[in-house]
Amino acid sequence: MLASEIHFPKDLAEALELIRRPGILVFAGGTGILREQGGRGISLPGEVLFIREIPELRRTSLTERFLEIGAAVTLSELLELGETALPPLLAEAVRGIGTMAIRNLATIGGNVASRGRFMDCWPALACLDGLVELRDRGGATWMNANRLLGEDGKPAFPEGGLITRLRVPIERWDAYLLRKVGPSDFPAPETAVFAFAARAEKGILAEARIVFAGEIALRSHSLESTMIGRGLPLSAREAATIAEGYRTLAAPLPEGLALQFGVLVEGALGLLSR
Amino acid sequence: MLYVATIRSPSARGSIRSLRFPTLPAGYRSILPADIPGRNRIVSFGAEVPILAQDRVSYVGEPVALIAGPDPALLEELAAATKVVCDEEEPYLNWESFSSDQVAAKRVAVVGDPDLAFSIASSVQEEVYTSGAIEHYYSEPQGAAAAYDYDKIAVWCATQWPYHVRDSVALALGCRAEEVSVRPTRLGVHLDGKLWYPSLLACHASIASIACGRPAKVLLTREEDFRFTPKRVRSSVSVRAALGKGGELSALDVRIAINVGAYGPLAEEILSQAVIACTGAYACPNLRVEGYAVLTNTPPGGAFGGLGASHTLFAMEAHANRLAMAGGEDPADWKARNVLRKGSRLLTGEILKEEVPYDAIIAHLAAASDYRRKYAGYELVRKRRSGRADGPLRGIGLAFAYQGAGPFLSGDASNSYTVEATLDKDLRLRIFTSAAGGAGGVMDIWRGSAAAILGVGLESVSIAPPETDQVPDSGPSTLSRNVSVVNRLVERACEAIQKRRFREPLPLTARAAYRVPKPIKWEGGQVSGSPFDTAAWAGAVLELELDPWTLEPRPLGVWLCVDGGHVVAPERAAAALRSGVADALGACINERFDPSGGGAGISDYFRYGLLPLHELPPIGIEFVEPERRAPVKGIGELPFDTVPAAFLSALSQAADAAFSSLPVPTARLIGALGAP
Amino acid sequence: MTVSFILNGEDVSANVRSVDRLSDILRDVFGLVGLRSDCRCGRCGRCFVFLDGRLVPSCIVPAFSARGREIITIEGFAQTEEYRDIAEGFKAAGVETCGFCEAPKILALADLLERSSRPSPREILAQISAVPCRCTDPDAIVRAAQAVIERRAKRIYRRAGQ
Repeated sequence: MLASEIHFPKDLAEALELIRRPGILVFAGGTGILREQGGRGISLPGEVLFIREIPELRRTSLTERFLEIGAAVTLSELLELGETALPPLLAEAVRGIGTMAIRNLATIGGNVASRGRFMDCWPALACLDGLVELRDRGGATWMNANRLLGEDGKPAFPEGGLITRLRVPIERWDAYLLRKVGPSDFPAPETAVFAFAARAEKGILAEARIVFAGEIALRSHSLESTMIGRGLPLSAREAATIAEGYRTLAAPLPEGLALQFGVLVEGALGLLSR
Repeated sequence: MLYVATIRSPSARGSIRSLRFPTLPAGYRSILPADIPGRNRIVSFGAEVPILAQDRVSYVGEPVALIAGPDPALLEELAAATKVVCDEEEPYLNWESFSSDQVAAKRVAVVGDPDLAFSIASSVQEEVYTSGAIEHYYSEPQGAAAAYDYDKIAVWCATQWPYHVRDSVALALGCRAEEVSVRPTRLGVHLDGKLWYPSLLACHASIASIACGRPAKVLLTREEDFRFTPKRVRSSVSVRAALGKGGELSALDVRIAINVGAYGPLAEEILSQAVIACTGAYACPNLRVEGYAVLTNTPPGGAFGGLGASHTLFAMEAHANRLAMAGGEDPADWKARNVLRKGSRLLTGEILKEEVPYDAIIAHLAAASDYRRKYAGYELVRKRRSGRADGPLRGIGLAFAYQGAGPFLSGDASNSYTVEATLDKDLRLRIFTSAAGGAGGVMDIWRGSAAAILGVGLESVSIAPPETDQVPDSGPSTLSRNVSVVNRLVERACEAIQKRRFREPLPLTARAAYRVPKPIKWEGGQVSGSPFDTAAWAGAVLELELDPWTLEPRPLGVWLCVDGGHVVAPERAAAALRSGVADALGACINERFDPSGGGAGISDYFRYGLLPLHELPPIGIEFVEPERRAPVKGIGELPFDTVPAAFLSALSQAADAAFSSLPVPTARLIGALGAP
Repeated sequence: MTVSFILNGEDVSANVRSVDRLSDILRDVFGLVGLRSDCRCGRCGRCFVFLDGRLVPSCIVPAFSARGREIITIEGFAQTEEYRDIAEGFKAAGVETCGFCEAPKILALADLLERSSRPSPREILAQISAVPCRCTDPDAIVRAAQAVIERRAKRIYRRAGQ
C-alpha cells in the first residue's frame, strides 16, 4: 500500500494553497471515505489535506436570520447547539445519521460534499434553501445547496474548491416533515431522506418545498410553484393532482423508493389538507 | 508469531489454471495444497471439504492457498496481489429447481395415505414459503492459531466442537489425534456458526505453523467472515394441506429444497431436522414429505440457531395461520383443534409421551397481549377497508412450535458422548467436558446440578478448561445438548460419585456416557426412531403496524410464552430469550442479503446490520409452570421457531396480502397495499 | 511519520504510516488489547475509544489524525470512578455479556451519561445500538443505566452532605 503525504494546514490560507494540488483529498472526519474500506490498511490518495486543525472551520454562529456552521463541525457538535439554534428539519436529519460514535467523527461539510450519493444533511439543507460557501485561492462564493444537484439528479459538487461554511436560514415553518427510508445506519441504495417544509400566510400556502435524496435526488420547483397560492386546507382533489405530479417525477427511482416517495408526498400533502 | 492470509478463488466453479504469487519478501512464504502433510480434507457428517482447493474450485472465496508472514498489513497486500486464474464453468446457482447432480441428500417419508386424503378433502391450500440467508454476526469473527508445544501441536480457536477440530487437524497433518491439543478460546454468542468451520481455519493455522516452524495465526476480518464463512442456509418449503369437513388437518404434502452451498458439510443433518419438523406442532395422519439438500456453487451453508427445523416450523406455522384466516377462523382455535397432544403419533411413528402445553401457553399469551380481541378487531378492519388510508394498518400474529433437543438425526456414528467428574479429598468437584459454554450461564447449570446432587456449595464446583488432552469428547455444543445431554451426563456422573463416596476413599472419578436411545433410521420412505429426547414448547404473539409515513413494518409488541421444563435460572433464561426475539425480529425486518449471484459481495457486508435496539418493541417473556420433575430443556431456538411466522401473519393481516417470505421487499409491500 | 498524543493520561509517540488505523496502532504498538479491530468500517463498536472526550470508532480514525489529541481506552477508563459505577450497575442489573462487547458497552454508556444525566430508555438503547451484539438484553441494559444513575445520585448526595 502506497504511503500518502498528509498535510496539516494550520489556517485557511494554507489550506487554500494546498487545495490546488491535483487529486488532493480533503479529509475532516473521514467517515465517508473510511466506512467503505474493509482492508487492514486504509487506502488514501497520494496527498491528503487534513483540515480538522483549522479553527475557522470549526466555528458556529447564530444571528436572527441564519445559523452559520463551519464545515469541519461534527454532527454531534451540531446537535449540541440545541433546538433553539438548529432548525428542526436539519436536526432530525442529523439525528438519523449512523450512531453517536459516527456523528462524533462525521462533519457537516463532509456530509454535504459527498460525491457518490446524497447524504442525509443535503435534502434538509436544500429544502431550507441553505447556502454553502466554497472557497479557493480566487475567493469565496456562496452557493444555494440546490446547485449541488446535477441535471441527472446526482451530486454535482464543483471540483477544486473547499467547503468552508454553511448557512441555514432561520425561518418559521408551519408544517415540516423529515423521514428517512431504508437502512438507517448505513447508506444503501434503498436509503433516502424525504424533506418537506411549508408555510402559510393568512390561510394561503406561501411556501411549499419537497426534496427527496438518496443516490439521486428529486426536487421540482415547478411542482412547488403549482402549490403556492392555494387556499388551505387543500382539497382531496388538489392533493391527488399534486401527488400524481410527484409520482411522475419519481420515475427515475427504483420501484420501492418511488413507491415510498409517493406515500411520503401523500403524507406531506395530508398535513396541508387538514 | 506469523500471520496467515488466505488466497481465494475468484470463480464460483471451474478449474484452477494458474496461481501466481508476487515476489515474496524474506520471512514470507506461500502454502499450497502440496504442502499439506496429511489429507487435504476435513470431514463433516460424511461430506468432505477441501482444506485448500486443488485443481477445482466450487465457490467464490474458496481457499486455494495461504501466505504466511510477520506483518499482517503487508500480508494483505501480498494476498491482494496474488492472481488466481480459473477456467470458469457455468456455476450451479439454481436450487429451487435443480438437477440430480446437485442433490447432496434426499429424505422421503410417507405416513398413511396422503393421496386418498387429498382426494376426499373439503379444502386444499398450497403455498411456497422461503427463508433467506442470515449472517450469524457472532461475537467474534473466526480465527485460529497453532504452535508446537513440546511433543504436540497446540491449536487455539473458538469452536463448538473441539474434538472435531482435533480430528480434522490430525487428519490434515497426518499425525495421531493424541498429538493434537485443542485449547478452545472464548466462544461468545455463536448461533451455531462455529460448528465445523473453525476446524478448517485450525487446519490452515496448523499447516502454516508446521510449514514455517513457527506459531501461526489466521484471523478473518469481519468482512471476510461475512462473505466466505457459512451462513444460514436458504430454504424453499412448499406446503400443500388438506382439511376435512370439521377443519381438521387431514393430509400434508411437503416438498423441501435447502440450498446447502458447496460440499454440503451439514447437508444431511439440516435436511433431516427440517423433514422431521415439517408437520410443525400439528398432528397429521397422512403425510408425504420429500426433502432435498441441494448443492450450489456458493459458500457452504450452515446451521443457524438450530440445524434446520426452524425452516419447516416457519413454513408450517405460516401455513396454519393462512388456513385459519382462509376459513374465517381465529388461528388460535385452528391450532387448538389440530395441535399435537399426549398420545399423538409423530412422523417417526413414536407416540408423544408428554403433554403439549398448548392451552396453558395460549391462555398466558392471550392474557398478556389481548390477542383474541385484537385479532378479531384487526380482521374486521381488514375486511372492511376500502383503501390504504382507510383505518390503521395493524395486524397481530400467533405462532406455536417446539424445540427438540438431543441426538443428530442423520445417523452420525459419533452419537456417543462422555462427561467425567472428580471429587477430591477437600470435597471439591471438577467437571471435565469438551462442551463449550457459549455466552449463557449453561456452566452455572452444570455446577448447580452437581452441587445439588453432592450437597456441596457452588463455589466447590469448577469446570476444567475444555482442552482436548484434558477432557473427554462430549460432542458438539448444538441442539441444546449443553442443557439436556451434557447436564444429564453431569448429573449421572455425580450420582455415581455420590453412591460411592461414603464407601470408597476420595478422590473419586466417574464417567457418564450418552448413547442415542433410538437412533433415527431412514429406510424406504419410512423414518423411525426418537426425533428428540426432550421438547420445549413455545407460543409467540406479535403485533405490528405499518408506519403511516413510510409503510415500513414497526413491531408494537412481542409476547413469548415458553414451557422450558425446569428452568434453572429464569431471569437469565428470559434475558437470553429477549435477545433471541430481537435477533428474530431483525431477520424479519432488515437482516437481508442475497447470495444468489454466487456469494455475498462487499456491499452486502457494508449494508448488513442488526436491528437497532431502540427500534425494538416491548418484549414480554413468560414461563409456564413446569410439570413435576420436568427435565431441563433447551429453549434458545424457540424465538426463531415462532417469531418469524407470527410476524408474517401479522404483516399479512395488516397489509391484507398473502406474504410467504421475510423480509418483504418494500416495493412488494406498498404494491400490495394499493391506493389510499 | 511520528505522531505524539496523550494516551491514557501519558504523553506518547508512535511511528505511524498513512495507512495505519488508530485501532491497530493502539493494539499493536501500545499493547492495548481491550479494544478490537474487527469490522474496519466503524459499525461494530469493538474499537471504541474516547478521542478528545468523544467516543469514536478508532478503526476508522487514521493514526495520523491522533496527533496532539487525547485518547482514553478502556484500560485507562477502567481506572476511574465512572467505570466502577457502570461495572457495578451492570452487575446490579444482571447484565451478562458475551465478553467481547462489554468494554465498548461500558464506554458507550459512560459517554451517554457524561452528556445526559437522565437519559430515557430509548436514548439508552440508541446509544448501546452503537455496539450491536446478539447477546444484548435490552431490558437489562436499561436497568443497568438506571442503576448507574441512582448510584451516582446517591454519591452526590452523600458528598453534598459531608
